[in-house]
Amino acid sequence: MSKYLVFPDVVFKDRRLLVAALTELGYPEVDQGESLPLYGYRGDQRPETCEIVVRRRFLGSASNDLGFTHTAEGYVPVVSEYDQRALQGGQLLVKLRTAYSERVVEEVKCRLHGSAHRSVDGQVIKIKVRF
Amino acid sequence: MPEIEFTIDAATGQLEMHVQGVAGPACDDVAKLTKELLGEPGRERNTTDYYIRPRVRPQVRPEQRR
Repeated sequence: MSKYLVFPDVVFKDRRLLVAALTELGYPEVDQGESLPLYGYRGDQRPETCEIVVRRRFLGSASNDLGFTHTAEGYVPVVSEYDQRALQGGQLLVKLRTAYSERVVEEVKCRLHGSAHRSVDGQVIKIKVRF
Repeated sequence: MPEIEFTIDAATGQLEMHVQGVAGPACDDVAKLTKELLGEPGRERNTTDYYIRPRVRPQVRPEQRR
């Protein structure tokens, strides 16, 4: 049995950008609502509830639902111990933060009516937005 | 030209931003926008640009005689 872990330090402030980041990672099917139940890999309902959920059928046969619970600070991931190791090569939260950050930059660029120049140097992505 | 330089570390997902060429507290408006999307930063520091007071020349147009 895999337990769920909550990551209060990893917060996604904006729902729309979070859903866009999940889509970029290959999870376009997302349930959104209030206090949605989470299910484990055996179909068992877990005590945790979330406002954004990627159902386990979109993740993997041994996966549990992946959720995001809404707090005053934003959306906090609720991910099982197993999926934290298994999804995205064990880099789920890092890749999600990266994808979310890129969506934030895009949003800032659009709101400031600016232009962007993106460059990548190894693991470092630099985006200059002029406005 | 005002510019924001974003640096994303793909190894950690951490984002840093540096606002350049925006004199004075107008810089705060840009910071406010990113905070709205990212939340409160772990670290925040004003650069020297922040303390430059933007020069605004008052323009007085003579009234047109009718």
